[in-house]
Amino acid sequence: MSSETTTGATGPARPEVERLHVAGLHAPADAVLSVRDLNVRFNSENGVVHAVRGVDLDLMPGKTLGIVGESGSGKSVTSLAIMGLLPSTAEVSGSVRLKGRELLGLSDKAMCEYRGNELAMVFQDPLSSLTPVFTVGTQIIEALTIHHPAMSRKAKEARAVELLAMVGIPSPKDRLRAFPHEFSGGMRQRVMIAIAIANNPRVLIADEPTTALDVTIQAQVLEVLHTAQEETGAAVVMITHDLGVVAGMADDIMVMYAGKPVETGAVDDIYYDPRMPYTMGLLGAVPRVDVAEKSSLVPIEGMPPNLLNTPTGCSFAPRCPLASDACLDGEPALASVDGQGLHSAACIKSDALGGDVDVHDVFAAPPVPVSRFDAVPRAERTTVLQLKDVKKHFPLTRGALIKRRIGTVKAVDGVSFDIREGECFSIVGESGSGKTTTLLEIMEFHQDQDGEVVIGGLSNKQAADAKTKARMRRELQMVFQDPTGALDPRFTVYEVLAEPLQNAGMDRAAIRKRIMELMKLVGLQPDHVNRFPNQFSGGQRQRIGIARALAVNPKLVVLDEPVSALDVSVQAGVINLLDHLRAELGLSYLLVAHDLSVVRHISNRVAVMYLGKIVEIGEVDRVFDNPRHPYTRALLSAIPVPDPRLERTRERIILQGDLPSPLQAPKGCNFATRCPVFAALPPAKQEKCLSLEPPLESVRPSAAAQALQNAPVHPYDQRFACFFPDGALDEDMLVVHEPAENHAP
Amino acid sequence: MTNLNAVDPAAVAQDAHLESADVVIGKSTIIFRRFLRNKTAVAGLAIFLVLTLFSFIGGFFTPWDKETIDPFNIGMPPSAEHFLGTSQAGIDLYAMTVEGTRISILIGLVVGLVSVLIAAVYGCTMAYFGGNVDKVMLFVLEALIMMPALLVVAVATSGGGAGLKRDLPSWLLLIIVLLVFSWMGTARLIRSMSMSLMQRDFVKAAQYMGVPPRRIVWRHLVPNIGSLLILDITRGVTAAILAEVAFSFIGIGIKVPDVSLGVLIGGATSQVQTFPWMFWVPLTVMFLLTGSLAMMNDGLRDAFDPSSSSTGEARQAKIRKTRAEKKTA
Repeated sequence: MSSETTTGATGPARPEVERLHVAGLHAPADAVLSVRDLNVRFNSENGVVHAVRGVDLDLMPGKTLGIVGESGSGKSVTSLAIMGLLPSTAEVSGSVRLKGRELLGLSDKAMCEYRGNELAMVFQDPLSSLTPVFTVGTQIIEALTIHHPAMSRKAKEARAVELLAMVGIPSPKDRLRAFPHEFSGGMRQRVMIAIAIANNPRVLIADEPTTALDVTIQAQVLEVLHTAQEETGAAVVMITHDLGVVAGMADDIMVMYAGKPVETGAVDDIYYDPRMPYTMGLLGAVPRVDVAEKSSLVPIEGMPPNLLNTPTGCSFAPRCPLASDACLDGEPALASVDGQGLHSAACIKSDALGGDVDVHDVFAAPPVPVSRFDAVPRAERTTVLQLKDVKKHFPLTRGALIKRRIGTVKAVDGVSFDIREGECFSIVGESGSGKTTTLLEIMEFHQDQDGEVVIGGLSNKQAADAKTKARMRRELQMVFQDPTGALDPRFTVYEVLAEPLQNAGMDRAAIRKRIMELMKLVGLQPDHVNRFPNQFSGGQRQRIGIARALAVNPKLVVLDEPVSALDVSVQAGVINLLDHLRAELGLSYLLVAHDLSVVRHISNRVAVMYLGKIVEIGEVDRVFDNPRHPYTRALLSAIPVPDPRLERTRERIILQGDLPSPLQAPKGCNFATRCPVFAALPPAKQEKCLSLEPPLESVRPSAAAQALQNAPVHPYDQRFACFFPDGALDEDMLVVHEPAENHAP
Repeated sequence: MTNLNAVDPAAVAQDAHLESADVVIGKSTIIFRRFLRNKTAVAGLAIFLVLTLFSFIGGFFTPWDKETIDPFNIGMPPSAEHFLGTSQAGIDLYAMTVEGTRISILIGLVVGLVSVLIAAVYGCTMAYFGGNVDKVMLFVLEALIMMPALLVVAVATSGGGAGLKRDLPSWLLLIIVLLVFSWMGTARLIRSMSMSLMQRDFVKAAQYMGVPPRRIVWRHLVPNIGSLLILDITRGVTAAILAEVAFSFIGIGIKVPDVSLGVLIGGATSQVQTFPWMFWVPLTVMFLLTGSLAMMNDGLRDAFDPSSSSTGEARQAKIRKTRAEKKTA
């Protein structure tokens, strides 16, 4: 299938497509990859889905292109089409040229010449992209063998060691013989990158390479990608839904919507001078971790269009607050914004938009809700939940017949905090830090637990009979991370919402009434109650989950990563809803999240957990603006910010390694093994960190502040557990990207 | 609470989106469509239905039955009087095949359905109670798996079960024995599936809402393993038919005067050279029977599997669409 024949078959002649195709023949000569008029169609139950509609891109060597968009916008399909990895049932047309050679229409066998050699890919899920039965060394060598059959065994092994060292795997020579399960997620993603760059590819496609990883590990992996690109000089295509991730890395950005690029340009143009309302919405929907100011997020209403039918107008018009009749008249082509330059947008109003237009005005973000509790000082509000020294230890045993206890996993190790009425309290930390176990301990509510849990005045120690438990269940409800998994696929929404009410012993008429109220409360159409969960979008499903939790009028709602499974634009809507409900119903939240920007946006107080212990706790703005514990500082510096200029100059603490296994936890401070301060301390002080466990201490205002107030000042609402919060940071763990370096040709 | 009561424009847009496009398709419609798309499976279903029909009304097309001996036609090849010929004893093969097919289908359906039912109850109970109950029940199950089913069948249907043999027809006895030994694999599968379902968030959500465990099992677990059960029924039917044929073939299953496909095949093995029709006809019917079920099973799996890629090809659909457009134009 050559490009000439397929363009003839694309059906109705669209002048702009034709024009672009012709323009494509004059692609920049030095572009390593040029894609012209790429179209992909799939069949579905409802008809043919036109998943990618006319993507054009040119990739210069050594440059990074970020492709951004919601799920379903065609980002991944585009990359798979370039790699030739789409199933044979898909219809692909257009042209993909790698250094002038046409790739589309090549047989699978012919594509193998390119894949892994000049074109390489890093996939999203590092857990499933390595074969578990071969050592990582074998898998790297396999990639080398296929494209360099003449290479000697020794040379291949040496190259594999070199690659592993390049992606930052300690003692690469020994790790060559390790199996994938011996590596953590972040390490496996490094191995994937090593395999991808094994043959010095010209183009490296990274499809959401860090989505499945923790923030600290994400920072490490992004750093590795950066080095890999520097070493190989490859052009990188970075596909992501997180505008923060690409801000620091990309040179150019392509925003995709409904299978079409809607805005392209240099990274600064896109972030500071967006000309397409969709881009503006995406930028406004991301909460910022570095901004204390409280403003509502910008939700982009509605859903991406159905790609079964060719849109007659601008595909974004149904969701666009600026849409007018002119927008429905033909789909706007990607046109240069200022008549020259590379920044172009597919919007007829792009001239009126720009960096000086406030996205909150454009999208009519709801006002910040104010709770009736906000005015009451915290100390005077009643306590909804109190944890006193809660512990959860798991014995670690070995041996098949006779189990020997070889150690204890301290999943939660003496956690105490309280939540007052109308307050949102968050727990943050890497995975494995004990956040979720803490939640489960609270939900468990059992007499035999180690430590005391008091929910709305009911203690687990005093009474744990069925009646008290039932009363407790009415005080406390939970919203789950995965909205799809938390709803029984065989229940209608009515049945889902009726379950807790039936359980509370309400009669049918009352249940019906309450369900209608709930549907309105969470912003769903009441007449949708007879639908099944699979007929709703992810955001709507999460709304159903929230409605179910609110059914019995609880005082406290436990939210386990409530938005991490959602798209940015949808996430903004759910966060705004949670904010609203807290204010309107006087709810308290206990939120567990790994996304610190979301935490900063929604919470009042925050606790940072590391290996089962709270290392820093306090008011959210204090903790985020003046982090005292080195771990908090590292976490905060690892969060990418959707601000390219800041991102390029920001000093970052890249923590080395992963969370240590609980068995190897040091006796003193848990964090000593990875601590950037500890690494820079003189040995005498290091001894203290290793032998003593730092207690949680309040941050006291400085002597100067005390003198200024002229009275004993109350300590701030911030406590941390570190002996040397002001110690210098280890230089090895600090990374600053020079602005010039990033833009070097 | 005024601003909260306002309907979310997102939901309205979504609704319009759902209503305008033909997005909402009932699950049963999708399953049915997917099944129909698999031509092999549809053919299998058709063959199976025809065979079932044949086994019930086939007897009306011939004056002969499985017991009447035709002394003038002994060991004759197919003719106008005897459609499929006669046996060495002069019994009409057509009549015997009809009877045999019915017995085989009967055994298959009963064993397939009842064993899955037993398995579902047993497996769910194990997963629901857990702990020691689970351990004991699992031990019983493993013990049954390790029992040599063949010997038990042989003893029950011939020597040992003399009393049973007198009271029950041989096909019922075989059904009972087959049932005892056919549900274990499925029960284990169902146990592990319900255990993983117990870990799912929606079950946890119900637990945290304080829903009693019995209701969780009945309302959340059982419906969610439904599609697996359907698949297992068709598989169980095939397995039971094959087991019956195998047992009858080696002479320990159905006993004369009852007829089954296995008995017919087993009886004819020694006469393949002299009376080939006696061997090939029941064998073909058995192939059609088990083959049709196997064909159906594939289609059913595709239809029920939500991650199935059974959506047809983009190109075909496009061609169909353009054709339809041409027709309307």
